[in-house]
Amino acid sequence: MPIKLSDKLKNANWQLIIAAPVAAGILHICATFAAPYLTGASAYSRLAPALPLNKMEVLRPIKPGKEPIPFLSPDARYAMCKFDTSHGPVNVAAMLPPDAGWTLTVHSQQGDNLYAAVSTPGRITPVSLVLVASDDRFLGVTPEARGIARGKQPPVPVSATRGIVVVRGPDNGFAYQGRVLAGLKEARCSGRTF
Amino acid sequence: MLSHSSLGPAHLILHKAQKQVAALLNLLGDWAAFIGAVLILGLVSSWYMIDSGTLLTTEREGPWVSWTSAGRADADPYTRAHFARLGSLQITTEIARSYVAYSDSDGGKLHSSCDYVVEGGEPGTSWWSVTVFDDKGELIANPIDRYTFTSQSIAIRPDGTFAVALSREARPGNWLPTGGAGRLALVFTTLDARAPLLTAQEDKENTLPGIRLVKCR
Repeated sequence: MPIKLSDKLKNANWQLIIAAPVAAGILHICATFAAPYLTGASAYSRLAPALPLNKMEVLRPIKPGKEPIPFLSPDARYAMCKFDTSHGPVNVAAMLPPDAGWTLTVHSQQGDNLYAAVSTPGRITPVSLVLVASDDRFLGVTPEARGIARGKQPPVPVSATRGIVVVRGPDNGFAYQGRVLAGLKEARCSGRTF
Repeated sequence: MLSHSSLGPAHLILHKAQKQVAALLNLLGDWAAFIGAVLILGLVSSWYMIDSGTLLTTEREGPWVSWTSAGRADADPYTRAHFARLGSLQITTEIARSYVAYSDSDGGKLHSSCDYVVEGGEPGTSWWSVTVFDDKGELIANPIDRYTFTSQSIAIRPDGTFAVALSREARPGNWLPTGGAGRLALVFTTLDARAPLLTAQEDKENTLPGIRLVKCR
């Protein structure tokens, strides 16, 4: 004799049926939050082994088969600096030329863009940063506190322990390649003691 | 029909054991269904929201998809997971936007066996680029080393519009070779320090180019 729907519903384990979406929701949240840490090939883990520590390096032009990370467009040349502030702050400086498309960005290990500066057509954009460990904001006694007048704009503190600084010079055509390369080579990244 | 009294004690024990096994199997079945449902609902929904995004995390305009919080330190967990899984570095959406298209304006998957034209008006942003990749985000090897056009390297028509041909065979004008790549991904990047991009609906229509299928082989 076929079982009636009402009997099926009566015999169903309603505790489990109600618990399933709740448990699925918890699993959904856990899986989503864990996903960035479970991926074996984050941008940082792909780029870091080839980059020197606390030193800006101009990357070769992006070519097929030699892309350091996926979807990195050859619409620009790149200079990158892998930084680690756990032993002291890291100074970053660049002069973004007065052309459109130049950027300086600071990325955390997880890929978050912690700081971004973009060039402004018609004027040079100076960028000066001090990267400090996330738990250490003290950068020493300022020149003003020591009674010394500061001659230039103070650097912007950015809190990050490890990550990558990327300076991006746009591809403006063959005639501008030397100028773009010179702009990238001017970018600096250096560690210092407290 | 035999009464209980006519059955031996061995039968009674067997009958009881059968009932216990059936109850246990029912319970195991319920738990298996529960675990299966939890895994499917929990993991598949998470994977889908990380991989494809939803209206909460992405902006869609025709074939173009852009993650609205890409690169931001306050990005939602789906966006963070999406780009961590992709393994790419994103500039914050406060100054840059990347639009990715895996299909043409009619919804057909972009493929290197077909020719396409990407055409639109010049976006009102400082700088932009259009780059073709395969669907894994790798560049497509070609003898002229051409993978991208930028606002400064593209040939613009006299009326201010532009057209880029995606084809495996050489085309006049702005040509991006696609030969042998299989599935394609097109990335349109805009960069502007002055204002958040695409805030007005009318700007959006003028900004993002259309992807028109010309022919397939």
